[in-house]
Amino acid sequence: VKFSTKLALAGVGIALVATVPWWGSAVLVQFGINALILATLAQSWNIIGGYTGYPSFGNSVFYGLGGYGVAIAMVQYGLPFPAGLAIGISLAVGFAILLGLPVLRLRGHYFAIATLGLAEVMTAIVSNLEIAGRNVGLILPLVKGDALFFELSLILLVVTTLAVMWISRSRFGFGLIAIRENEQAAAVMGVNTTLYKILAFALCSVFSAVAGGIHAYWITYLDPGSAFDVALNVKMIIMAVFGGPGTIFGPVLGAFVLSAISEILATKVTSLASVFFGIVIVAAIVFMPRGFADLVRRFRQSGWRYFQENIRTYRV
Amino acid sequence: MLGAYACYYLFTGLGLDPFAALPVAMALLFCLGYVIQRYVLNLVIRGPMFNTLLITFGLEVVITYVAQIAFSADFRTVNPSYAGANFNFFGATVPLARLLAFGVALGLTFGLWLFLEHTRIGRAIRATAQNLIGARLYGVNPRHLYALTFGIGAALAGAAGTLYGVVSQINPYIGSGLTGKSFAIAIIGGLDKSIYVLAGGLFLGIVEAMTALYIGPTYTDVVSFGILVLVLIVRPTGLLGRTA
Repeated sequence: VKFSTKLALAGVGIALVATVPWWGSAVLVQFGINALILATLAQSWNIIGGYTGYPSFGNSVFYGLGGYGVAIAMVQYGLPFPAGLAIGISLAVGFAILLGLPVLRLRGHYFAIATLGLAEVMTAIVSNLEIAGRNVGLILPLVKGDALFFELSLILLVVTTLAVMWISRSRFGFGLIAIRENEQAAAVMGVNTTLYKILAFALCSVFSAVAGGIHAYWITYLDPGSAFDVALNVKMIIMAVFGGPGTIFGPVLGAFVLSAISEILATKVTSLASVFFGIVIVAAIVFMPRGFADLVRRFRQSGWRYFQENIRTYRV
Repeated sequence: MLGAYACYYLFTGLGLDPFAALPVAMALLFCLGYVIQRYVLNLVIRGPMFNTLLITFGLEVVITYVAQIAFSADFRTVNPSYAGANFNFFGATVPLARLLAFGVALGLTFGLWLFLEHTRIGRAIRATAQNLIGARLYGVNPRHLYALTFGIGAALAGAAGTLYGVVSQINPYIGSGLTGKSFAIAIIGGLDKSIYVLAGGLFLGIVEAMTALYIGPTYTDVVSFGILVLVLIVRPTGLLGRTA
């Protein structure tokens, strides 16, 4: 299929999704907002985790800072929503640059644990800040308009995906992939690894912060526990890994599929929903450890043997 | 969490003293850990680095919510007859149950260290950690060994859970917070020798208690995880370790 045809198809798909608020039920629209925001978060994690190979647990911090930027600006200073978003983005980017500088020197599990530690520190700091409403949190002004939030989330997801698309075919993106595959070799080839890693971290902080801001304004309530929730960070990683990290559409697909599964489970088998969701995660990692994108690519050659091959390759 | 519940049911159901229930809980958790590693985790262990972490998260979700259905979300406490007993030691009041828990935890930590340093299996575990293929050439069966290692880890976590139930309240959700703390303690101490966790644990415990007393109880997480991040940045080998 030619590139222009693909582009047209994608455009039609987006336009169709954009009409959901006009014909969909309130439940569908609300589910849609959540799924779009989760997809944005998975996609922005993809930049640092999928392309650069740095498994960040700090993305929930960006999300939380975005939310708090909006909440503090609107509640404490009576500023409009866009100003709040700008404050949230600057907080998140500042955090990404300031703390990315030391933390991005660590690799693998050490980086993961350091960012996890940062997330816990931020939760604890914010729950002690008077301006952020301490443990109790902040209540934002109420706006009725799920349709508006749906379109905002959709635009955000499209912009984030376009950014990832640009990354995947730009010099910058090739630099990130080189860092993921072999950081020392990348440095020898003339990639400014520190600069690239920080840029990637800052870029993903922008999208996560906007997602946090939109979500906070939509839910009209924010507290430290839910804003900096580490479980949310785990969710974005699982969604990105389920779809295929380091691919353009994998994380979006993963977020939609897993959101739908968890929504269906929650309505069909309420009390056991979380148990089944856990089992889905375990099964997904055992049978398709490289994500859905890899499944689609290699299933054509191997057929059902694909699952067997995966287990054979990775078991001890 | 499961260790704490094992102890709770052995105590309330069979009237077994929590410290007598400890070996039983350890044995149960060892079996569970062995089976999980052998039949689930071993399938993905050589996959992309991050998958082991994600799959254990998935398992944690499953176990937590199964526990919530089986044990209910109520808070429980294990209250042996001596729970309130304490004695005076040079002017300091020492609660008996806590002192016993401390003693047992100390004993287990030393036991693990001696086991890893001086037994055949302990040496095999350390060798496999250094070089899987090398260990295999010397006759280690990695499937069995990984399962054994995870089983020992689960048994010790179960023992810790039993002790936790004696000194604190338990519910199905205590697990994930304690996992974060145990990461912090192991890294702050250093990962090359298992005995270093003792230093990490004591250090973090004292710092947290001091923070709660002098700065405020809501700041303990700022300080403990702040120290974790600082240690990782400044000295990723841990306070006592040599290799990262």
